[in-house]
Amino acid sequence: MRMTMQALLVKALVFASLAPALAEEPTPAAAERSALDTEVQELRRQVVDLNRDLFMLEEDLLFPASTQVAVFVSMDTGTFFQLDSVQIKVDDKEVANYLYTARELEALKRGGVHRVWLGNLKAGEHELVAFFTGQGTHERDYKRGATLTIDKGVGAQYVELKISDKRRKLQPEFVVRVWE
Amino acid sequence: MDVRIHRRRPAACVALTLALALPLPAAIAAEGPTAPDFALRSAAGANHRLSEHRGEVVAIVFWASWCGECRRELERFERLRRTYANAGFVVLGVNLDKDPAQARSIAEAVGIGYPVLLDASKDVSSAYDVNELPLVVLVDRHGVVRARHDALDEREERGLLVSLRDLIDE
Repeated sequence: MRMTMQALLVKALVFASLAPALAEEPTPAAAERSALDTEVQELRRQVVDLNRDLFMLEEDLLFPASTQVAVFVSMDTGTFFQLDSVQIKVDDKEVANYLYTARELEALKRGGVHRVWLGNLKAGEHELVAFFTGQGTHERDYKRGATLTIDKGVGAQYVELKISDKRRKLQPEFVVRVWE
Repeated sequence: MDVRIHRRRPAACVALTLALALPLPAAIAAEGPTAPDFALRSAAGANHRLSEHRGEVVAIVFWASWCGECRRELERFERLRRTYANAGFVVLGVNLDKDPAQARSIAEAVGIGYPVLLDASKDVSSAYDVNELPLVVLVDRHGVVRARHDALDEREERGLLVSLRDLIDE
């Protein structure tokens, strides 16, 4: 009887020590599934990369660097100006008119930069006029324009329309500048 | 057995890749054109953009103050909005009046709680090919137009409810 109990105890101990190892050993089906998951993830990554390359290729074809001009809108804090819309005219022709929603304004105030227009301009001088519409302090309707003469060269050109607060004058400031 | 598994693997890989890698299948599976995106100013002053409601079921209600049937449609969609708002249902009213004051007065009289967007230039109504009023366009969570309804009677309203619930459950 004693021997039987000892044998059972030894068997139980051996089984307990081997159990985790047995549990961790993957079955062929599980290994197969894991390999398949890895392959799917790899293929997924390749599709994402391909999609990105196609997007860049499309942008290069539609807007070649020699003629490409992009206009971006950014905002500092926006205490003195609540932006409603931005209208852009190039050589007296309207090229963009964008209404900003509350979510977009929130994103701009958090440091986001919005590409409001991407287009093609031939080399030479062009006049860019940006109109900012919104509400100033005390909820007064506010419309301001800013003009910039662009000397379009051979490379892509990026223009930033920046709205910031001029604290000394308690007024918004609209700056148009070309990124070098 | 192993051989059969290996033969199936390429096909399974392709199927799984198509199912998992591309974000489009849900939109492709849903029949209908993609809803043209728009941004409009509301009668309350705030701007609204359709694409910001991706992930929600949107009913776009085209109406005008001179349209008699529209009032009933505005009331109907206010009731539906109150019922299904928590389930991700959004209503956007697009008004075609030239004078925003007319839109505001009707909206106040009806007591609608959803945004009344002003499309005096008719750009959005042209994009949606609005030929009669009222017109309701149901857009699913992927931005696909799933149904278009003009003025509804009681039986058609039940059909609308069924399709709306289906869209919310998707």
